[in-house]
Amino acid sequence: MTPLTPRDRGRRFRMFTAAGAGLLLVPLAAACGSGGSGGSGAIKIGVPAPLSGDSASAGQDILAAAKVAADEINKAGGVDGRKIQIVEADDQCSAQQGAQAAQKLLNSGVVAVAGGYCSGAAVPAIPIYGRRGVPFVMDASTNPSLTDSGKGKVFRTCGRDDNQGLVAAKFMTGPLGARRIALLHDSTTYAKGLADAAANSARRAGGQVVYENALQPGQSDYGPVLTKIASTRPDVLYFTGYFAEAGLLMKQRKQLGLKFTLMGGDATTDSTVLKTAGSAAGGYIATTAPLAKDLPAAATFVSAYKAANNADPGPFSVYEYDAVKVVAKAIDDAGSTRGAAITEALHKIKDFPGITGPITFDAKGDRTDPLYITVQVQNGAFTAYKKLDESGATWVDAKTS
Amino acid sequence: MSEFVQYLVNGLTIGAFLALIALGYSMIYGVVRLINFAHGDVFMIGAFAGFGTLTALGATGGMALPAILAAVVVGALTTGVVGAGIARAAYVPLLSSPRLALLIAAIGVSLALEEGVKVLTGARFKSYPHALDGGRILSGAVHVTWGQLVLVVLSVALMAALWAFVTRTVTGTAMRALAMDRDAARLQGINVERLILTTFFIGSLLAGAAGVMYGLYYVQISFGMGFLIGLRAFTAAVLGGIGNLPGTMVAGVCIGLVQSFSAGYVSSRWTDVIIFGLLIAVLALRPTGLFGERVVERA
Repeated sequence: MTPLTPRDRGRRFRMFTAAGAGLLLVPLAAACGSGGSGGSGAIKIGVPAPLSGDSASAGQDILAAAKVAADEINKAGGVDGRKIQIVEADDQCSAQQGAQAAQKLLNSGVVAVAGGYCSGAAVPAIPIYGRRGVPFVMDASTNPSLTDSGKGKVFRTCGRDDNQGLVAAKFMTGPLGARRIALLHDSTTYAKGLADAAANSARRAGGQVVYENALQPGQSDYGPVLTKIASTRPDVLYFTGYFAEAGLLMKQRKQLGLKFTLMGGDATTDSTVLKTAGSAAGGYIATTAPLAKDLPAAATFVSAYKAANNADPGPFSVYEYDAVKVVAKAIDDAGSTRGAAITEALHKIKDFPGITGPITFDAKGDRTDPLYITVQVQNGAFTAYKKLDESGATWVDAKTS
Repeated sequence: MSEFVQYLVNGLTIGAFLALIALGYSMIYGVVRLINFAHGDVFMIGAFAGFGTLTALGATGGMALPAILAAVVVGALTTGVVGAGIARAAYVPLLSSPRLALLIAAIGVSLALEEGVKVLTGARFKSYPHALDGGRILSGAVHVTWGQLVLVVLSVALMAALWAFVTRTVTGTAMRALAMDRDAARLQGINVERLILTTFFIGSLLAGAAGVMYGLYYVQISFGMGFLIGLRAFTAAVLGGIGNLPGTMVAGVCIGLVQSFSAGYVSSRWTDVIIFGLLIAVLALRPTGLFGERVVERA
């Protein structure tokens, strides 16, 4: 069961039900898919995301953002006169479900895929899309190996963990003035990758990594881990896992009266942590891609999203919106729904005006201008805090950007 | 040294609710000879019932003791009724079937409860109101919060009440008789079915109270929370000698300590390996549990 969701409790029952459901889905999906490929119906774009499980709130936000983008495109006349149709698949943030979701999307006849949330679910999905030549534009899977592996036609509208690790390390050793740095991950592909990247950068920036280990997600009690970390006397703890644990870490750090600064990665910036941590969240810092409200260009998107969902967009909604938009643009440019043609068009896109900034992909499929900022919890909300300026040398107030 | 004391305090707190859940396993096994795999999910339902109560009362911040007590009472009564209902619907009709049928029914009930709560409340985890956020009793090298004290006191009070009930009342005596021999108990004029339902009611009530305490302490609850903690409590029940109530209470606290110390001194990734390794070792070396078994096992 280890390849299942990061916070899977090793449940045999669920494996059986999942396997059973999978067996049922294959013929069903094949039956649906046979009618949809080619022809002049809607153009199907696949959106894999964790729609259930502990990361479900992030997944639902991503799906909602994809629908906002598709609605906008369709209202403006679609692509080549054809409508865009979003096909969703639940990857439960796990490797096993990720592969099944990829298969399901291919069976339903998608011409491109824009989505994903957990790098762990993207790893097995990439070669599956790759074999059919279907391009995959990831919105939130940030592990460097995904584009480095060269296994598929992959792109991403988000940054990479090594960029984020660098920003985190520079922030800790710079503005925070930390010398002793503790790193905590949860053994998932994303969290381990980010922790390693931060450790490397921190050492290079002159910091001392006094602790680097994993917690077991879904355990609720992180008092012992925090007590152990406190015994290494760190100035700052950088937690690179997901938001469910981050909220508990904040709360339990306060209960134990520990003094070190608590920081987290971009998977901790979900508003539900603020509810879990309550007053213990005050002052919490996270490195993250800029949120929708920090991006002036996203204002229209935010109001469209609010109107459709009666809620604020999630942390990766803007990247998903851009992923769908850039895929639609590539299909339009290519004038074809063949995978190879769309992939080629994606590579040719230059400075596409996304709401997260101009989008250009490098040869690997990564954004040429990935940006990370730090945010801080102030008055019960994540507020833009600091960002590196263009040269990457000095820190400026992120709110003014 | 202060680290050690901190792990001890945390372990005792976790052990307090593990013991409450383990007691349910033990009592139910005692009277029906069933490992009730749905027990962890009953615990989960208790947490959700308490969540509903606290939300309805609008409890926030500080030590809202009346609200906490109300939530524990509502959570416990809800699960008591749910537990007895499950027993009536799924287990009592199977009492004379092979034991495997009961076990499979329990697994079915477990999945039905989990998926039912998931459908009704959604897959997202819920954040409990911060009703236990009162100050600390001790701060400095070792931290003890009022919340921890409240939880331990509540657990101990419930266990004491259970003990008094089992040893001092007619129903408790009948329950012990039933655990010894169902047929002989029936011949003594004990209404076996009703007594089984009473046992389920009480065992589930304790699990529900533990669920509310868990929610108050950890703040985060989800439909799947009962599975792992249920297995840990089950381990405690086996360790204490399943059917042996005082043994189970002690073993629950021991498992809490093992959890806390293993996470502290080894790594929390190893906690489950250690706890379930312990379960296997106990089953292999001393299948009657560390404290022996008081209930006569029938062939």
